[in-house]
Amino acid sequence: MGEVIVITSGKGGVGKTTTTANIGIGLSGLGKKVMVIDTDLGLRNLDVVMGLENRIVYNLVDVIEGNCRLKQALIKDRRFPELYLLPSAQTRDKSSVSPEQMRKLIDEIRADYDFILLDCPAGIEQGFQNAIAGADRAVIVTTPEVSAIRDADRIIGLLEASGIRKNSLLINRIRIDMVRRGDMMSVDDVTEILAVDLLGVIPDDEQVVIATNEGEPVVGTDCLAGRSYTDICRRLAGEDVPVEDYMKPEGFLEKLSGLFRRS
Amino acid sequence: MSMPSVPIARERLKNLLISDRMQCAPDAAERLRKELHCTVSKYMEIRPEDVTVDITRNDIHIKYTGENH
Repeated sequence: MGEVIVITSGKGGVGKTTTTANIGIGLSGLGKKVMVIDTDLGLRNLDVVMGLENRIVYNLVDVIEGNCRLKQALIKDRRFPELYLLPSAQTRDKSSVSPEQMRKLIDEIRADYDFILLDCPAGIEQGFQNAIAGADRAVIVTTPEVSAIRDADRIIGLLEASGIRKNSLLINRIRIDMVRRGDMMSVDDVTEILAVDLLGVIPDDEQVVIATNEGEPVVGTDCLAGRSYTDICRRLAGEDVPVEDYMKPEGFLEKLSGLFRRS
Repeated sequence: MSMPSVPIARERLKNLLISDRMQCAPDAAERLRKELHCTVSKYMEIRPEDVTVDITRNDIHIKYTGENH
C-alpha cells in the first residue's frame, strides 16, 4: 500500500514544486514506484520543473471528469525508473475538483504505487483542501523567513485540524554564512518555533536554479542541495539518515571551494 | 558592525504566532495572562511573575512556577 504525501507550505515561492519534483525523482532512484500529482489547478508548473511540459495530453481534471482514463493522462518520465506525472490543468480553476473526488482518485491508485506525492498550491483555500484530502502525511516546506514560518505554522494547524498528524518540516534555502553572522534564523530556531519533526534542510544552492532552468533534477547530483535531497528521500523511504549539521566548522575543502566561488 | 537581525525576527514571529493562534490582537496574550492571574488569585496567593501562559497550536498552558523559586 503506497504512502500519500502532500508537499505544502502556505506561502508561495518557497520551493514546493521543486521539492516535489526532486523528492519524486529521488525516490524513483531508490527503486520506488512513484506518482507525482500537480494539484495546482490553473497554475500548472510541476511538469515544467521536471522538463516534461511538451508531453502533456490530458490532465488531472480530465481524469476526474472521466474525459480520459488515468493511464492516458499519466506521463512516464523515461529518464527515471517507475516515475509517473499526473499534470494539472492550466485552463481550469480550483473549483473544478472537490476534496471528495481527490480522495476517491487517490484511493483507486494508492495500491499501485510505493509513493504518491501531491504538489499543493499556495494558500489555504480549496486548492489546499483538495491537495490534502487524500494525504496520509505532509511535508511542510518553509524558508527561514518570518512570513514563510508564520504561514507554515498556520498550515500545520490546518493539517492537524484535518486529522493529518504526521507532519515534518523541510527548511529550504538556508544560507550558512548568514546564519553564522546572526542574520538568518537557524535550523534550531525554526524547528523550535514550529515544534514539528525535521525531515531535512536544503542549503541555498545556485545549482537548484540551474537545474530548474534546464528541466533537470538536482537530486542525485554532486552539490549541496543535491546531496540534501538524496538524504531526504532516503529518510522518507525509511532509512535512518542523520540530518547534516551545516553549522559545524567549515572543512578545508569547503573553504577552498568557497574561495573559488568568490573569485 | 551592525546588530544581528535574528533576535528581531524571532520576537516578531513569536508575537505573530500568538495572535494567529488566538485569532486576536497582539496584546491579547498579555491581557489573558493578567486576567488568568487575577482569577487564580481569588483562590490562592500567587505573584504575577509566577504565572506563565503558553499558547501552542492546540493548547493553552497555564504554568505556575512559584514552587521553583
